[in-house]
Amino acid sequence: MVSEQLTVVNKAGFHMRPANLFVQTMLKFQSNITIVFNGREIDGKSIMNVMAACMKQGAEIEIRCEGPDEVEMLRTAVDLVRSGLGEE
Amino acid sequence: MKCEGIPASGGIGIGAAVLVAEPDLGYGNVVFSGVAAEKARLAGAVAAFTAETTAMAEELRSQVGDTQAEILSGQVMMVSDPYMTSQMNAAIENGVCAEAAVDSVCGMYVELFSSMEDELMRQRALDVEDMRRRLLSILLGRPRAELKRIPPGSVLVARDFTPSMTVGLRRENVAAIVTESGGITSHSAILARTMSLPAVLSVPNIMDLLSGGETLVVDGSSGSVLINPDDETLRNYRALQGEALARQADLLRFRTRPTHTADGETVSLCCNITSPRDVPNVLEHTGEGVGLFRTEFLFMNRSTPPSEEEQFRIYQDAARQLEGREIIIRTLDIGGDKDIACLDTEPEENPFLGFRAIRYCLSRPDLFKTQLSAILRASAYGSIRILLPFVSCLDEVRSARVMLEETKCRLADEGVAFNRDIPLGVMVETPAAVFLADKLAREVDFFSIGTNDLTQYTLAADRGNSKVSYLCSYFQPALLRAIHMAASQAKRAGILVGMCGEAAGDPLMTPLLLAFGLDEFSVSPTAVLPIRQAISRWTREEARALADQVMGLSTADEVRTCLKANVR
Repeated sequence: MVSEQLTVVNKAGFHMRPANLFVQTMLKFQSNITIVFNGREIDGKSIMNVMAACMKQGAEIEIRCEGPDEVEMLRTAVDLVRSGLGEE
Repeated sequence: MKCEGIPASGGIGIGAAVLVAEPDLGYGNVVFSGVAAEKARLAGAVAAFTAETTAMAEELRSQVGDTQAEILSGQVMMVSDPYMTSQMNAAIENGVCAEAAVDSVCGMYVELFSSMEDELMRQRALDVEDMRRRLLSILLGRPRAELKRIPPGSVLVARDFTPSMTVGLRRENVAAIVTESGGITSHSAILARTMSLPAVLSVPNIMDLLSGGETLVVDGSSGSVLINPDDETLRNYRALQGEALARQADLLRFRTRPTHTADGETVSLCCNITSPRDVPNVLEHTGEGVGLFRTEFLFMNRSTPPSEEEQFRIYQDAARQLEGREIIIRTLDIGGDKDIACLDTEPEENPFLGFRAIRYCLSRPDLFKTQLSAILRASAYGSIRILLPFVSCLDEVRSARVMLEETKCRLADEGVAFNRDIPLGVMVETPAAVFLADKLAREVDFFSIGTNDLTQYTLAADRGNSKVSYLCSYFQPALLRAIHMAASQAKRAGILVGMCGEAAGDPLMTPLLLAFGLDEFSVSPTAVLPIRQAISRWTREEARALADQVMGLSTADEVRTCLKANVR
């Protein structure tokens, strides 16, 4: 398992559009992805799960990936969140 | 027969009632046909839903634009969520039919999303609810009403409309929209406004009162619905409709224009709100910001005052939705006619002259600093200004400023982000503030003239007492002089001056206010376009010439008559 801690930077956080971009990108990987936020574990391949967690700008999260392509997946996920999930 | 509802989209619509009834979605009679069979039924329904919704999104995109279509694309994403489908399958494995699985899992998400503080997330609850209904209607084989083939001149009547219901709707066949539930920020309201259809919402029992085919007159400006009116009434409304259509078309041109005077001077045109839930409506009506956020509503109907965290989230929510546009937050204005249960205030003989607003807040530093702290923290997320209500002497401003500075120091020590230069302004709503305007203007960053209270205190007339209501008019020369004085002192000191009372939303008053040098008008969302239009028709110079004339008049009637004669 690989993991990294980071902060959500885009204004609206994991809103419908950003959440969808994130989930659709993660679905391309075989590994499992978990986001830990406020002590809760969120399935990073589920848009309902991700949206329901209400992760907004400034949220401190940890991303954990586990599986055959975990390193590549984690890097992609972290880059995506750091770059603002396709938003400003 | 006449019914009343919420006026949600202006204009007059006349036509025949078409009832859009939801199919009965009860599934009590459905028999569980085994885990494998129910899972297959669910998968079939999800596939049908996805295909149908994708097609609808495409159609809606070409019809009313991306925003409505995106709601539907969002539903496709949600229904394809493997996590949610697995929750539904798990329910089936526990021995319930596909309908019950859809109902319980969607129901859970509806509850989850509607309990969120973020306005945009709360809207997702409506999407999941729409999804629930449509999946059930597919599973039960009970199709929803088809709106594609309604005849021209139809007035659509439903409990509430969802984006999916209105796909394929031909705008030219619809005269108006009426619903039994839903407010001004509902999908129905937004849809009506995007399509420029007159709409009256939340009309009690309207579905039961109608059977379809009745002649309806829908007045989307006043919020009334007439059922089978007589010929003369109908003729009158047809005439009104013609005039309203012409006016409406003219107003719509102002949606995309900046607010400026005829000689090109920019004026700020904002809206008054009581909750972050009002912000979408402000933006919908092209308001340029919030000129007055009345925070007392956060303290009403509850047993304890809201915590700093709760207030912070609310102010932050409003600021974020405004995306950098200005927002003026008025600190707690209780007392007078606003009684607040959670703040054990004692009954007073003369509440309007009593322990209210800033007077009360300064005696409760705990409460006041909590609010200031929440506002300061939210100032990191938008362009926020603080407004003190009901100021009548400088000591109040100075005491409030001390508490503000103390709160800033505490936040700075804790390393919390906030705007150190947050502007602090006062409401000018007592005659004392008017007389002291020169002194006040030197110690604050802006004025906001509250005409409703200023009228009743200047005229010494209770605005709630119908026997003296003839005095409570903003056309009273005494009030105009008060406004003029306050605005002039603000201009002399070089600070901004705005107005957030009803007078700001009356186009008759616009030239006077421009002449007095007002920088900002804060009005209700529906007044934005009429006021923008009124502002565009005057140069400051022409407005000053009219103001010179008006300020020489002696009575409210003379003032009103003169302004009416000069309206543009």
